[in-house]
Amino acid sequence: MEYLWNLGQLIAQQTVNGITLGATYALIALGYTMVYGIIQLINFAHGEVYMIGAFVGLIMITTYEVNFFVALLVAALVCAPLAMLIERVAYRPLRGSMRLAPLISALGVSIFLQTLMTLIQGPNPQGFPKVITDTVYLLGPIKFSLVQVIILVIAALLMVILNLIVKYTRTGKAMRATSQDYDTARLMGINVNRTISFTFALGAALAGAGGVLVGMYYGSVHPFMGVTVGLKCFCAAVLGGIGSIPGAMLGGIFLGVAEVLGVAIGLGTYRDAIAFALLILVLLFRPTGLLGRPIQRKV
Amino acid sequence: MSPLLEMKNVTIHFGGLTAVNGVSMTIEERQISALIGPNGAGKSTIFNIITGIYAPNGGHIYYRQEEITGKKPHQITGRGIARTFQNIRLFGELSVLENVKIGGHCKGRAGLFGALTRLPGVQKEERLIMEKARAALAVVDLTGREKELARNLSYGDQRRLEIARALASGPQLLLLDEPAAGMNTLEKQTLMQTVQHIRDLGITVMLVEHDMSFVMNLSDHVDVLDYGRKIASGTPFEVQQNPAVIEAYLGKEPLDLETD
Amino acid sequence: MEAIFDFFSNPYYIQILTITGVYLIAALGLNLITGITGQFSFGHAAFMSIGAYTSSLLTLYLHTPFFLNLLLGGIIAALFGVLLGFPSLRLTGDYLGITTLGFGEIVRVVFINTKITGGAFGLAGIPRETNIILVYLIVVLTIISLYLIKNSRFGRGLVAIREDEIAAEAMGINTLFYKVEAFAVGSFFAGISGALYAHLIQYISPGDFGFSRSFEILNFVVIGGLGSIPGTVVGTAILALAPEFLRFVQEYRMLIYGALMVLMMTFRPRGLLGGVDLFQVWRNFRHKGLREKI
Repeated sequence: MEYLWNLGQLIAQQTVNGITLGATYALIALGYTMVYGIIQLINFAHGEVYMIGAFVGLIMITTYEVNFFVALLVAALVCAPLAMLIERVAYRPLRGSMRLAPLISALGVSIFLQTLMTLIQGPNPQGFPKVITDTVYLLGPIKFSLVQVIILVIAALLMVILNLIVKYTRTGKAMRATSQDYDTARLMGINVNRTISFTFALGAALAGAGGVLVGMYYGSVHPFMGVTVGLKCFCAAVLGGIGSIPGAMLGGIFLGVAEVLGVAIGLGTYRDAIAFALLILVLLFRPTGLLGRPIQRKV
Repeated sequence: MSPLLEMKNVTIHFGGLTAVNGVSMTIEERQISALIGPNGAGKSTIFNIITGIYAPNGGHIYYRQEEITGKKPHQITGRGIARTFQNIRLFGELSVLENVKIGGHCKGRAGLFGALTRLPGVQKEERLIMEKARAALAVVDLTGREKELARNLSYGDQRRLEIARALASGPQLLLLDEPAAGMNTLEKQTLMQTVQHIRDLGITVMLVEHDMSFVMNLSDHVDVLDYGRKIASGTPFEVQQNPAVIEAYLGKEPLDLETD
Repeated sequence: MEAIFDFFSNPYYIQILTITGVYLIAALGLNLITGITGQFSFGHAAFMSIGAYTSSLLTLYLHTPFFLNLLLGGIIAALFGVLLGFPSLRLTGDYLGITTLGFGEIVRVVFINTKITGGAFGLAGIPRETNIILVYLIVVLTIISLYLIKNSRFGRGLVAIREDEIAAEAMGINTLFYKVEAFAVGSFFAGISGALYAHLIQYISPGDFGFSRSFEILNFVVIGGLGSIPGTVVGTAILALAPEFLRFVQEYRMLIYGALMVLMMTFRPRGLLGGVDLFQVWRNFRHKGLREKI
C-alpha cells in the first residue's frame, strides 16, 4: 500500500515536471507548426532562433541587469524581427522552387547562426544566473518550485494570447486563410507576404521567450542548444498534427511528460531517442498526428 | 459470351458522402463503352475503383470472371487494364519516349539485378519495350517527337501521349478519363479516329466524357450516372430517349446533341 | 607538373581526397534515394554508422578479411534500409524525412548505449585498410551502377515514382517495393562508405554519424543537383573541400559555409547541375565547334 502511494506520488511529481518541460517544448513547437501550416516548410533555423532568444535573455540579465520579465520581453522582441529577416533572405526567394531547396537554405541559416553565436560568446555553456529564488510550494504531496510555476503561467499566458491573435484579429484570419489556400487568399486581397512575415515573427517571439525560460530552468545556455531541442519540438509539432496550433501544445506537453517519465523509469540514457521513437510510432499508425486532419488521396 | 468487366453493386463513401451507390454494369469485349453523367456523378470515382486507387466499401468487380476488388493498382494494370487521368498525370520532366517506355513496364520483368548485369535476356526485353513504345506512339501519331519533354507538349498532345503511355502496357481494357477535354473540334475528330483504331486493334475501350456528340457518335454502349447511381444504360439512341437521363441533364428539356 | 606531384605526395592532401571519395560514395547512394526516386531521407549517416560499426566489429573481434567486412557492412546497412523502408516508405515527403531523421537519432542513441560498440566513446584502434585507390575504385563502381540503374526498367520505375507516384502505380509499378529497393541500395552504399570511413580514420564514435552528418551529405546531393550523378560528384567535391579552401578565414569559415548554402539555393535552387544533361551540353558544344569550322 505504502509502495503504491509512493509510486503514485512519484508519477504525479514527474508528470508535473514533465508538463513544465512540455510547456517550453510547446512554445517552440508552435513556431514550427505555424510556419509549416502556412508555407509547408520545416523551418530548421527555428531552433537557432530559440537559442538566440536564450542568449539575449542572458545578456540582458547579466550585462544590463534588467528584471527577468523585461529580459523575456526583450528576447521575444529581438527574435521576432530576426525571424522576419531570415524569412526574407533565406526562404522567400525560394518559394515555389523544389521542396528541398528551402530546407537546405534553412540548414545554412542554422549553421550561420550557430557559428555567429560561437564567435560572439564562445562555444562553451554559460551559466544562467538564478534570478528567481528557489521557493518550493507544496500541493498535497506534490512539489512545485517557483520557477516551474512561472514557466507554466507564462507559457499558458502566451498560448492564450496566441490563440486570441489567431482567432480574432484580422491578421490572424489572414494567417488561417493563407494556410488554407495561398492563391485564393491572395485573390481575396490578403497581403500574403506580410502574413507569412507575421507568422514567422509570432513563432519566433514565442521561441525567444521559450529560450529564456529554458535557460532559467536548466541554468545554462550554449550556441548549440537549439539543435536537439529544435528537432524535438518539431517532433512535438508533428506528434500533435503539424499545422494545428492546439496540436502543437498537446504534442509539446505529451512529449515533455513522456520524456520525464521515461527518465524516471530508467531510460535516462535513451532520453533523446524517446521523442523520435514516439514520433515514428505515431506517424506509422496515424500519419497526420494526434490532432491532424486525415488526408484524402487526391487523384 | 461473358463480359470483359463486370461490376456488381459497387458502393464507396467519402466521409458522409456516398460517391458511388450500388452501381452494377458490364463492359463487353471489343466495344467502346461510355460512362456519362453530370459533374460529380461519380464517373471518375468508378475509374479509380476499377483501377484499384480506391477500395470500394461494398460490391465486387470481376475482370475475365476473376475478382479484382481491392487489388493494388499495379496488380490491376498487370492484368491488362490501363488508364489515362482526367487531370493529365504525365511524367513531366521526362521525354515523350521515356514516358511511353515507363508505360511498357508490365511488358518486362528485369529488376535491380537485371539493371546491373544487362544479361542478353534483359537487352532483348529492353528492345521489346522500345518496340512497343514506338508502336504506341505511332497509334496516337506522336512519332518523331520522342525527345521532347512531356511538359513542353501542347495540351492535346499531352492527352494523346497519355493514351500512348497506357497503350504501351499492352492492355485489353483501356479506360480513358475525359480524353477530349480541352481539345478543339479538329483534335476531337482525330481523337475519335484514334479511339476507333484502338478498338480495331482488339482493345476494349471505356471512356468518361462530357462532350455528348463525341460520346454518341463513338460509343457502342452508354451507361449514365447521376448522384452516384446508375440511372440508364443502353445504346446511345436508347439513352438519349430515356426520360430519366433527360431530366438528370436538363431538367425537363430534351437532350441537345450539339451542346458541349 | 611538379606542383601536382607535390600535391599527391603530401599525405595530408591524400587524406582529404580519400575522405572526399568516402563521402562521395554515401552521397551517390543518397542521390539514388532522394534524387532519382524522390524520397526524402534525413538519416543517411545512420546507415553509414551501421556499416562502420558492423565492419569494425568484424575486423576487431572476428578478424575476418577486410573485403568481406566491407561487403557485410554494406549488406547489413541495406537490411536496415529494408527494415525501416517497409513501414516508413508508405509515408511521403516531409513525413518520410522526419521518420528517417528520427531513425537516425535512435540508431545513434542505441550505439551510445551499447557496450560492444564502446558506448559514447566509440571504437578505437581499427586497422587502417582504406586507401585512396580502393576508395576511388569503389567510387567508379558506384557511379557505373547508378548509371546502369538509371537507364534500366528498374530505374525508369524509380524516376516515374519521383515524377508522379499515382501515375507510376497505374503503369503497373509496385511503388512500395521499388522505393524499398532504392532505399536498400542507397543504404548499401552508405554502409560501404561507413566501413571505408572506419578503416580510414581508425576511430569511430556515435557522434560522427549524427543528423548533422546526414544533412551534410544531403547538402552535397542537393547543391550538386538532385538526380544528377555528375552533380553529386561536383557538389561533394566542392563542399567537402570547401572548408580546406576556406582555411585562410579560419574561424569564419563555417559562417561563410552557412551563408554559401543560402546563396547557392537562392541563385540555383535546382543545384549546380540539376536539370542539366551533360551529354546534351557536350553535343551542343561539339556541334557549335563543327559549325564554326565550316
